[in-house]
Amino acid sequence: MPCKILELKTARQIANCGKRGDTPYALPPKTKKKMKNKKNGQLKIQQMSFMLIAITLFFALVGMFFLTLQVSKIKESAKTLEEKNALLLVTKLANSPEFSCGAAFGSERANCVDSDKVMALKNDIKKYGNFWGVTNIQIRKLYPISNNTKECNLNNYPDCNLIKIQDKEITSEYSNFISLCRKESSNGEIYDKCEVAQLTVSYGK
Amino acid sequence: MKNRKFFNPSSGAEKRKGAVEMPFAWLFSLIVGAFILFLAIFAVVKIMQTENVAIDAATAKEVGVLLNPLETGFEAAKTTSLILPKDTRIYNRCTKDETFGRQTIRLSQKNFGKWSDTDVNVGFSNKYLFSNNYTEGKKFFIFSKPFEFPFKIADVIYITSANDKYCFENSPADVSDELSNLGQENIFIKDCPANSVRVCFSGNCEIRVNLESKYVEKRDSKMYFTDNTLMYAAIFSDSDTYECQLKRLMQRGEELTSLYIEKSNIIAAKGCSSNLGNDLSVLSSQFNVVDSSVNLNSAVVDAVQNIGVENGASNCKLW
Repeated sequence: MPCKILELKTARQIANCGKRGDTPYALPPKTKKKMKNKKNGQLKIQQMSFMLIAITLFFALVGMFFLTLQVSKIKESAKTLEEKNALLLVTKLANSPEFSCGAAFGSERANCVDSDKVMALKNDIKKYGNFWGVTNIQIRKLYPISNNTKECNLNNYPDCNLIKIQDKEITSEYSNFISLCRKESSNGEIYDKCEVAQLTVSYGK
Repeated sequence: MKNRKFFNPSSGAEKRKGAVEMPFAWLFSLIVGAFILFLAIFAVVKIMQTENVAIDAATAKEVGVLLNPLETGFEAAKTTSLILPKDTRIYNRCTKDETFGRQTIRLSQKNFGKWSDTDVNVGFSNKYLFSNNYTEGKKFFIFSKPFEFPFKIADVIYITSANDKYCFENSPADVSDELSNLGQENIFIKDCPANSVRVCFSGNCEIRVNLESKYVEKRDSKMYFTDNTLMYAAIFSDSDTYECQLKRLMQRGEELTSLYIEKSNIIAAKGCSSNLGNDLSVLSSQFNVVDSSVNLNSAVVDAVQNIGVENGASNCKLW
């Protein structure tokens, strides 16, 4: 008995068709070709969808790589600019009104810092926040030489050698030599005292 | 291939004369290809825009950083030039918020004949830039001068484009001497080019300076000044920028006054008294009052001058 193609429902029935002495049902050649083409078409669509997924993944990875490169480039350029800012600022900071001696110690001088004014600034530094765009500004007296670092505050000033104006975490620093001047008194007589110091400017992370 | 037709073979459409036979795979790849191409072009355009914004922001920051060396020592004024590779607009913005207000610079560069649309503002608290709303060109002149009121408050910076020429004909001797010493290419004291902006100290022209009443009149707005530093500021900038930057200068002046009051206490403890404490407190409140150049009246100017004279005569000078 030939298997009737319309009665074959399960895969097993299809596989057994013709095995048990049945006369196998012969499909017309046109239908056979059609089925083969359909199978081929499905395979191709599957291949294409895999390909599409692969292409999408590839572009996503390339995009992410490119973005990472861009972000690191921007970060690098920001860091370079901060460095440049610190480098250029340190050479001129001593002349800014909050630091400079002006004519308080005779005639006006370049790279002269008024330490009395700087102590007043240290007291009031919260208002200045990120005014200069750097994270740390400090002044260290270089002469007379002292092995011990003594940070200045209003109680021990001027018997100290380090004025920390801003004090935050830093990565790199630039410095410049300055003369640090203040009013001093001896036996009731007022005189100007200037010492060699180093002004350091640093930028943060 | 004959059997794999896009159109249903049983339908009559196939039999139509001139019907296009388009395999599904082709149609599918065309659609997907077009989509990928669209995505690629979109991504390139977006990346270019982002790159332009990044370049504009970095250049703006660089311009700000390059202004650092213009901090004057004891010299009267100095000038420098800035040359950018493309046609650039430097937008000058100023805000009076916070303790010191803020100076922001925004750059827009010309790419393929179009100005880049950047909304990244680079800000500085310690800079005072006087210019028009925006300055356009490839070459810019930057000129700085200290502003003292009565002590040095800041170095103010004037930015002008090489395209904008200023003619200071018949200016007072001190002004013409200072400007000719600067040697800035776009400022003329005599033999002014025809297309220059005329600055006159008497008569009628685009920018009128009244030295007696101390104001600069420009496009129907009056900007009052106290000295040559503010006079140049009024000449080279628009009214909004001038008023805002003036207020910022007063804000810094107020804070500096507090520093000098504190300094006077520190040196008084050493036996060196300047006796300026009370006057400085009054000055501080006067700085606070000046929120517009109209308030730069004789009372304020006189108070400033008196404190300046007192400090100069003191044995314990504060500045």
